[in-house]
Amino acid sequence: MAFVRRFMPILSRLVQNTSSNQHQKIHRWVAPTLRELNRREDKNGGKIISPRNTYLEWNLEAELFAFGKRLKEDFDAALLFQAFTDRSYVIKEEMKQKEIKFDIKMKDNRELAEDGYKFMDEYIDLYLQAVLPKFPIEGVTGIKNHLLSEKVLANISFHLGTKDIILAAEYPVDNYKLANTFKAIVGALYRSSGEERTAHFVRDFVITQLQGQDVNEFLHIEDPWKLLKELISKAGSNIEPRLIGQAGTNTLLACYRVGIYINKEMLSAGFGETVNIAKEMASREALKKLFGTQENMYPINFRLKGIPKTNPEMRYQIAAS
Amino acid sequence: MSNKNLFFKSGFVRAPLQNGVGRYVCQLQRIVFKFCKSSGGSRGLRDYIEQDLVQFAEQNPSVVVYLKPRRHRSPVAVAEYLNGSRVWMNFNQKTHSEILKWIENLRTQQDDVAATRLRKYQYTDHPSIQGPWTPFTFKDPELNVAELPNVKFGANNRLPKTATEELRLLFEKQKLEDVKTAE
Repeated sequence: MAFVRRFMPILSRLVQNTSSNQHQKIHRWVAPTLRELNRREDKNGGKIISPRNTYLEWNLEAELFAFGKRLKEDFDAALLFQAFTDRSYVIKEEMKQKEIKFDIKMKDNRELAEDGYKFMDEYIDLYLQAVLPKFPIEGVTGIKNHLLSEKVLANISFHLGTKDIILAAEYPVDNYKLANTFKAIVGALYRSSGEERTAHFVRDFVITQLQGQDVNEFLHIEDPWKLLKELISKAGSNIEPRLIGQAGTNTLLACYRVGIYINKEMLSAGFGETVNIAKEMASREALKKLFGTQENMYPINFRLKGIPKTNPEMRYQIAAS
Repeated sequence: MSNKNLFFKSGFVRAPLQNGVGRYVCQLQRIVFKFCKSSGGSRGLRDYIEQDLVQFAEQNPSVVVYLKPRRHRSPVAVAEYLNGSRVWMNFNQKTHSEILKWIENLRTQQDDVAATRLRKYQYTDHPSIQGPWTPFTFKDPELNVAELPNVKFGANNRLPKTATEELRLLFEKQKLEDVKTAE
């Protein structure tokens, strides 16, 4: 666009300032020239996008310093550099060094990534158990797997600005490398600042990804009615579903409403186009209430300090069923 | 939306990566100042670099600042953001104080917000908090204990008033007014 604008005749540029006119006078040679440039580019195999770190204005040391400051953490410089070194880069460098008969050992980030992953795995588990005290352990694991999935970690990594700093053999870097680098950063922070600071880092950047999400989606329940019945009968109470409303029966828009009652007191209600669906929806609603993750639950607490401890007594066990 | 905005990229008001739920991350990651050491158009930017740049760098350690002197080209600032976008800004003939304000603008935004057409001024992941409507959603609780059939609930109150009814009401109103005037 800048190219086109540059070659607009000066007079028309003055007149056209308000740009109410649809015709912009662009020299007749501009379009064929652009077309020709484009053709030559295609002939050479498409547009070449050079990675940011090959620019003249690039200082890796400054970038790494700014990265630490951006996250408000004090990293050990050597460790942070190691965290950004991908395996593919080390292999490429070794090949280069072999050619010129040179040998400098470089460390890649695999070890740090492993450490970081292990820490996140343990900490997220403990944190979720603390903030969702009644949610079944299967659900907690489901949320954890979501948070530690490549897609989520790569997204976090990208938005913290690792994309350009990563040392890799090829650019742009793929999701695997982005996620791996983020794990390595956690590992590096663990080694340089200790457990608590790392825990708060993981809380602030990984666990907060749950904000605005429905945690129930991460717990798969095959037969909610069966599960609900088992849980309630364990507590020694009676449970019964009652049809508490029906509208438009024998029509396409039939709607049934089923309530679930414990000892003659209503626990939850659900609706659906058949009685069975309504019952299932009501039992799902009831399970949400039991697990403390109903629609109007308090938002998850993202400000727990330190590393929480486990408290397994309150939790519902659904593994046995 | 006017014709002028057709090629505007559109978007919603969003914070990148839940920014601020955990901790705040400044979204500007690096800024490059390109300027000429001798030409008059770069005067404002040169003044800024001499007087304010060190302070800017001190106050924002998370922003990498690059200076790129080049001969006889107009001064430019290129800001790069964490979401990968790049904002190019011409500083030719701009004064020191103007540049100061523009850089503050570049520092505090998360992308070139001025180049985005907001589709709405608000955004939510959950447009409904009460869930889908059912015939039972706004049901009168009185119905739960009512004995059916019931005159009150069975009445057809959906028809408009008939002409006879309207006349009767008018007549009654008039009678009341007559009584009032007599008093």
